[in-house]
Amino acid sequence: MSEKQETETIPPKDPSKLTFESAFTRRRILASYWLVILLAVPLWWSYTSISRLSLPESRIQALAGKQWHSDIRVHVKSNVKAHPVDAVVSDVARLLKEDLKESEGVSIQFVTDSKSSADTYEVTLNTNVERASLRGRKLTIGMLPDDDAESIESSRLRLASVLRHLLVPPPPAERSNSPQRVVKYSPRYRVSFTLLNEDSASGKAAYTWDMQQAFGAHLGPTIDRLSPLHNFTVESQVQFHAPLAFSPKAVEHEGKIVHGLTHEDLTVFVNSAEWTLSSAVSNDPVLHFVAFIPSKEHDPLYILDDEGHPTTSNAFILPQWGGIIILNQHQPHLNMFALRPIFQTFKTQLLTLLGVADLPPAGIQLDNNEPFSQWQFDALMRRRTMENVEESRDTLLSIVKLVNQIQNMPVGKDVKGDVLGALNALEHAFEVGSSSPMKAFKYSAKAFILSSKAFFNPGNLGMLYFPAEHKYAVYTPLFASIAAPLVAAVVREFLAWKKARREGLAERPKTD
Amino acid sequence: MRWRLAIITYIALWLTSALAAYEEFHELLTFRPLSDGKLAARFTFTTSLNGTHPRDPSNLADEDQSQHYTVFPLALGQVLREYAVTELHLNLNAGKWDYDHWGYPDEPGVGTGAELWAWMGESATRSVDERWKGLRNALSGQFCASLGSLDDQRTTSPELTFRPEGSLPSSGGAHRLRHGTLPSEHVCTENLTPFLKLLPCKSLSGIASLLNPHRLFDTDWHGLSVHVRYLENEGIEVRLSFQSVFDPVRYTGGRRAWSLQSVFDRVIDRSCPVARSSEIRVAIPKEENNAQITPDFHNSDGEHAIFDVLNASKPLDVAMNWVNESAFDYNTVLSGVPLTHISVRRTLKGSSQSRGRLAVSITNNMPITIQTSYLESMPWLLQFYLHTLQVHSNGVSRDDLVSIVSCIPSVPHARPTLFQAILTLPPKSTLDISMDVIKPFLRYTEHPPDAQRGWDLPPAVLVPLLPANATVLTDHPELSLSEHKMDGFGYPIRSPRRMYTPVLLVDLATPDFSMPYNVIIMSCTLIALIFGMVFNLLTRKFTLVRVSSEP
Repeated sequence: MSEKQETETIPPKDPSKLTFESAFTRRRILASYWLVILLAVPLWWSYTSISRLSLPESRIQALAGKQWHSDIRVHVKSNVKAHPVDAVVSDVARLLKEDLKESEGVSIQFVTDSKSSADTYEVTLNTNVERASLRGRKLTIGMLPDDDAESIESSRLRLASVLRHLLVPPPPAERSNSPQRVVKYSPRYRVSFTLLNEDSASGKAAYTWDMQQAFGAHLGPTIDRLSPLHNFTVESQVQFHAPLAFSPKAVEHEGKIVHGLTHEDLTVFVNSAEWTLSSAVSNDPVLHFVAFIPSKEHDPLYILDDEGHPTTSNAFILPQWGGIIILNQHQPHLNMFALRPIFQTFKTQLLTLLGVADLPPAGIQLDNNEPFSQWQFDALMRRRTMENVEESRDTLLSIVKLVNQIQNMPVGKDVKGDVLGALNALEHAFEVGSSSPMKAFKYSAKAFILSSKAFFNPGNLGMLYFPAEHKYAVYTPLFASIAAPLVAAVVREFLAWKKARREGLAERPKTD
Repeated sequence: MRWRLAIITYIALWLTSALAAYEEFHELLTFRPLSDGKLAARFTFTTSLNGTHPRDPSNLADEDQSQHYTVFPLALGQVLREYAVTELHLNLNAGKWDYDHWGYPDEPGVGTGAELWAWMGESATRSVDERWKGLRNALSGQFCASLGSLDDQRTTSPELTFRPEGSLPSSGGAHRLRHGTLPSEHVCTENLTPFLKLLPCKSLSGIASLLNPHRLFDTDWHGLSVHVRYLENEGIEVRLSFQSVFDPVRYTGGRRAWSLQSVFDRVIDRSCPVARSSEIRVAIPKEENNAQITPDFHNSDGEHAIFDVLNASKPLDVAMNWVNESAFDYNTVLSGVPLTHISVRRTLKGSSQSRGRLAVSITNNMPITIQTSYLESMPWLLQFYLHTLQVHSNGVSRDDLVSIVSCIPSVPHARPTLFQAILTLPPKSTLDISMDVIKPFLRYTEHPPDAQRGWDLPPAVLVPLLPANATVLTDHPELSLSEHKMDGFGYPIRSPRRMYTPVLLVDLATPDFSMPYNVIIMSCTLIALIFGMVFNLLTRKFTLVRVSSEP
């Protein structure tokens, strides 16, 4: 009874009069909640976003339009009256200009001073038509001494053609209709020599070979000569059982049964499942050179022409893979003498695979015993430089395109570093391009290595496994349940504020 | 004068080339009838590269010399030189070697699963661990085995048990051992194919032509191994070996008789042309004199009948028959005494997923005291409580019989335990060792795809050492513990008699793998509840509602 009286006497406190119950405090609390959320958003963003460093796109795009070209300086000296230097130069320059395409990236300049730089080519014209010779960067070529228009024309045409073949050999793909035989550039190749017995237990086999000596005698100088362009790791092995995956066709030749390989057989000749030729320890491309000894059952083995007749050639090149030579006559031990023709063939195959162009067909001789001439080496280096420049530029452009296309693709520090390194090297290559071919080559090789390293960086695949859907699936249980009261409170406060304002407006005229 | 000089130069050249590239290949197949009617066969293919040294690890930064081989496998040579490995042993086995009935194996590495150990010289340019990692991955690719997972969590350096079997070059830095086991790795045809490719005659001629995968993997025990060692003054030797235990009683329906045809389903049609020697040796049973070996063997060393495959008439089908035996009597097996000096059993007790007890019981079968080294190289999946170690000999507590040599405790998620001890075994008695172990919790991502199966634990390795009182040996030469055996080519096999216990399977606490999502939902709900309550309290508007009081 007394309690009831007390409650009646003391009126209950109006909660709206409490300090923390004022609309202002409540709105401040609400605002601080939202403030925390807004401040947390950048933090959340930085923790969940994929690191995508910016790439120097504009610099890469600027390179895209640039045409690579290198300058070749040629100095002509003439000992033939019918061919004064000026006339020859203007004629040959015109002929070369007609023949050379812009895409070959070479411009040939004829200079009058031979001492301008070390890599100026010197052409001496003399009357010895029979023989043209190369020594270093010097070419001595014979011109017809007659001064009738026809022989002058033919001599100069010949000179122009020889110069074109020596300075800018047409890419091998144009010369034969085979696919691209030359291997892609790599700073290091493994050169692997294999003496492959199809079946040594059948009694017809070579068990040992003087490979190291033969290599040193026949291929060593070539490898040394190419060392500014590539490094080589040389290895050799002998296999005693290397069955073919198919059975060679038996054909009759000169009254005897022989076995033959058709062109289709040559493409599937390498039985990679049974022959252990591949290397396990490095990713360097391997050039295989195989001396294949057919078993007693398949002996002798010849390569067949299109009509099915055995040809005299016993060697063939598998594009970008290596060379194979078939040995029908041999002893159990292949000595230096027996290996001579084999390694001569391997040498030709190696040069073809590495892209050393042949000498022009005009009967040119090398003066000293070099494996190939300085002119060929320079032409190869120019071609490799251009290929590397184009390849690395394309790779850089692809990286940029890919990064723009795939929004989830991370771009890490190492990728950016490699791209920048490649780009710098590429720009340097363009700078020194015409003045120093060797430097340009070194830069282009560096750009090529770095750009492929950036392109194949495993970090590029990093976060692709966390698609946006997964993130939302993880976030919604928390975010939805928290966002609901927050949004509801804002709406409620907004409505309350509007109501209070309307009431305030309605009350005001009354008081007036 | 000139031609004389030319001849001398020529001879000198010929001599140097002959000395420099002196490679040899030997093949050997050994058969040993076992006491329980089974037949142990071991193929050994030895290639020696004479006059060479392993790559000096201190020149790893420089360009390596070119590799030119004739019968030596190039694929293996590349790996060895790339990582400058001095000694390498790889074993891939399946099955449990029954020491009691089969005796000591011809190749000591018979632990179930994969085992890889290598001795490598230290180098300033590339550390041993870096090269060990590269070696693992290279061999993993070479032999199609998951050796890449022999990572730091399974790598130890138990130098007491795994001594070098060859010699270590004195030049260069100190040599380090790396050892790892992967008991869950299973050997199968995909490992045999690359193994055969390392042989000069593949499986097409010679003794290797008997390696028929259909039969080799249909045996009670089989394993392949690769051993590379360096022998001072000789060169590098690669020994490829395949060992298996056939059951001829099963093939023939009750009899022990066997032949190459019945065991391998193949005979030797032609010999390998590059093999310097090619032999089949059949152990002649000592106590039974009714065993008959056909065809007539070429040679005998008293214990073995030796067939020279190179000169034998082909096809060669070696056969062994027990005259007057119509069915093999298994009763003799049951009553037989163990063939090894000691017998080991190792078990993991306790049913809980958090703790257990590791018990090892070692029986000395000899009438003399034997010492043995004991190695546990345990992944951190099982952690030892070393203070609970109890030692009983025939039921009596004897802590003095165990002396701990080294114990490197495990680090969860990083490093295995290495426990090495020397045990003293009293004559004709059993030593029981036991200690408490705990089973840790694994991270969610550390569980294998078949998590409920449990984890295979590597075998413990015991090496019986010379008895404490060596004078006993003079009276009992058959008790000799260290083998001084020649492998047929005059090379001593310095392999100690390692004994591997069977592997254990441990059951670790396995989560429900939908757990992470449940945890996310659960914690989100809790956070939302707490947040909602606090938020509501803070922003709720309390108003006074006047209720008109009825009289």
